[in-house]
Amino acid sequence: MAKALEGIRVIDLTVWFQGPVSAQYLADFGAEVIKVERPQGGDQGRGVRSIKSLPVGDWNQYFLVINRNKKSMAIDLKTEGGRQILYRLVEKSDVFLSNLAPEMLESWGLSYEKLSAINPALVYATNTGYGRFGGVSKPSFDMTVQALTGAMARLGEPGEPPVYLGMGSGDAYGGIMSALGIALALYQRRRTGRGQYLDASLYGAQLFLAAPYLQSFLAGNQDAALQHSRKAVENPLWNLYPTSGKWVYLCEPNEDARFAALCRALDAPSLHADPRFATSTLRTRNNEALIAAIEALTLRHDHPALMRAFVAEAVVASPVNNLADVVRDEQAWRNNYFMKAYCEEVQREVDVRGLPVTLSKTPGEIHCLGPQLGQDTELLLMDLLGYEWDEIEALKTQRAIP
Amino acid sequence: MSRALDDVVVLDLTRQFCASLSAAFLADFGARVIRLDVPPLRAPSDGRWNHEADLIHRNKESLALDPSTKRGGALLHQLVAKADVIVTDWQRDELAALGIDYAGASALRPDIVFGRISGFGPQGPDAELPPIDELAAARTGMMPILPQPGQPPIYTGAGAMHATVMLAFGVVTALIHRQVSGEGQEVDVSLFGANMYGAALDIQAFLAIGEGDRFLNPISRMDVSNPMSGSLYPSADGRWVTLTMPDTDRWWPVFSAAVGIAADDPRFDTHDKRTETNRLELIRELEAAFGKQPGSHWRQVFQEKQMSADVIERFDYPANDQQVLANRYILDLDHPSFGPVKSLGFPIFMSDSPARLERLAPCVGQHTAQVLHELLAYPEDSIHELRAAGVVA
Repeated sequence: MAKALEGIRVIDLTVWFQGPVSAQYLADFGAEVIKVERPQGGDQGRGVRSIKSLPVGDWNQYFLVINRNKKSMAIDLKTEGGRQILYRLVEKSDVFLSNLAPEMLESWGLSYEKLSAINPALVYATNTGYGRFGGVSKPSFDMTVQALTGAMARLGEPGEPPVYLGMGSGDAYGGIMSALGIALALYQRRRTGRGQYLDASLYGAQLFLAAPYLQSFLAGNQDAALQHSRKAVENPLWNLYPTSGKWVYLCEPNEDARFAALCRALDAPSLHADPRFATSTLRTRNNEALIAAIEALTLRHDHPALMRAFVAEAVVASPVNNLADVVRDEQAWRNNYFMKAYCEEVQREVDVRGLPVTLSKTPGEIHCLGPQLGQDTELLLMDLLGYEWDEIEALKTQRAIP
Repeated sequence: MSRALDDVVVLDLTRQFCASLSAAFLADFGARVIRLDVPPLRAPSDGRWNHEADLIHRNKESLALDPSTKRGGALLHQLVAKADVIVTDWQRDELAALGIDYAGASALRPDIVFGRISGFGPQGPDAELPPIDELAAARTGMMPILPQPGQPPIYTGAGAMHATVMLAFGVVTALIHRQVSGEGQEVDVSLFGANMYGAALDIQAFLAIGEGDRFLNPISRMDVSNPMSGSLYPSADGRWVTLTMPDTDRWWPVFSAAVGIAADDPRFDTHDKRTETNRLELIRELEAAFGKQPGSHWRQVFQEKQMSADVIERFDYPANDQQVLANRYILDLDHPSFGPVKSLGFPIFMSDSPARLERLAPCVGQHTAQVLHELLAYPEDSIHELRAAGVVA
């Protein structure tokens, strides 16, 4: 089957999560992604041994899933020989992507000026922490950057600690933002023949994680920055409710017909007849009382019983599932959001995150999980870059490659 | 200046913030995005700044059209035939009724790229559920474990924002394929899939490990896996700090000094002691230490020592952060009606074809005549007649 990004070659000089996942999107759609790693240990993501204090088991899913469909070259870019290899690779490539600090790239002779002089059509992409301009350069991780955006401080019940949006939430977002930028530059390049440099920073991306609320704040709505209680939302029909089992998310507009349906589902004619809740305006005005009244009713049921009653009245709602539910969710498997992939390390099929962007004629695919460190170094040096074997021996002697 | 998507015409049939913003991103990078404003039309904003429209419809043109009339439907088909891309969040049956689901649209324009945000993906028993982000987030498994123990589940809204960018990426990727092959296709991004990718690490770990209370129940911040990574501590003025220093060996000498613990304190002098044997004790020590100084003190310390740690801020911080303005992540605008205001800007910097801000959101129907004339070559009197007949506005 055709691949959307066939013929695009990407140098992936990235570590940890944001950069690798950006290149993963390109690799899933058929780009040839060559991961360039330091010979000593490679990408730090290879070293992940536990998640939330739980051992990762016999395969490192942190690294292997986001580096799937990629090749690996081990090159010591601190050596002159290593740099020369990378320059030759740049001549043959369409995209250079890195989430290392720009100062580090500069010191290794890998600035945009240097690489675009070698290949003017190169798309040069960085994933900085805080953007290319403004002068801030300090270590950046998902959560420390998310902290600055205001996205954490608005979540949770009033008085509770701020809420992190989830492990890797900001990196994943920065990754897709970066993939979008690269795709835009590649599309333009096919018309103009020119490359350029682009940056998708963790900070810039994460400011959009809470875009509707931040935009509202920028327009003067101070309240948008603050925590809000679910006991006081404006529309009680669009809210979280506890049951004797799981929580349920009720998603109905504040309209008389929908309130009537809800009251039927809850078997609560007295609620429907309550004059405090007779109109949408009154339901907003008396929201706290209505939320308390609905909650008293939902707590009488477990979530399967409540959902059956909701379905019978066509009330839109969902149980609030946990991770054990989602990994069994048929909808996720049917749409290839989860897939099976063969894992060389353990010689068996494993379950992996699949393809969240569905292209009907050029679907993404997973043909292998992450590469072993440097597994393609010699082959690519010979076949792609035209090195002779005695040159390769010399590079080994210089410790440019392992 | 050339823009990335200069030669692309997008028809925007969107209702929701996330889908409209996806089309705005394409417009930011040069696409001609024609927003179809259909009944019921957007309400005027009663004299207040419509900050949302000026973000999610910026750089777009508006054509107001009633597609339920026979002539309106025919006009819609003519527009589809001229479009390279459709971006929509409408349900499939609504699109089919107008003859512009993928089958209908691709009959009008064979190489069209048809981008849609769905609720739960194109396949499976829930393919026709409505695109409501809360429903999708509730199914994703993360909501129960985001808060502290005993607290209600947390809806973040971030899943919809993932969908925004994923759809734009999918559309541009399909356009790249079309450049080579001449072939269009359908692009589907669901709120469910987008929420799942936003929760990438937890979901993948649970897929692989298959068990573990720490994935199913909230973890108290007083029981965080690594006291120096992913942790939250309140400072003296109530502002919280967070640390991400997973490699505690590397950071301990400088960090311990900053928080007033002896570097050679025998309780904490190895990584194992800090993150396993005496983990809870270290958390309690840090809780006490951070509570002794205000957030501003800690920010300065983190900055001086170049630590991967920061103060948890509210929106006023990025709104006034020079770094944010320097990178155009937030823009200072001179609004024609409301004067100087701030608006979210552009998360992607491109050196040769930067994002543009040519105009704020169009009024409903502002470009009707222009689009009919330029794209469909309607003469002026025909446009007048369509307007008089109520087909367009």
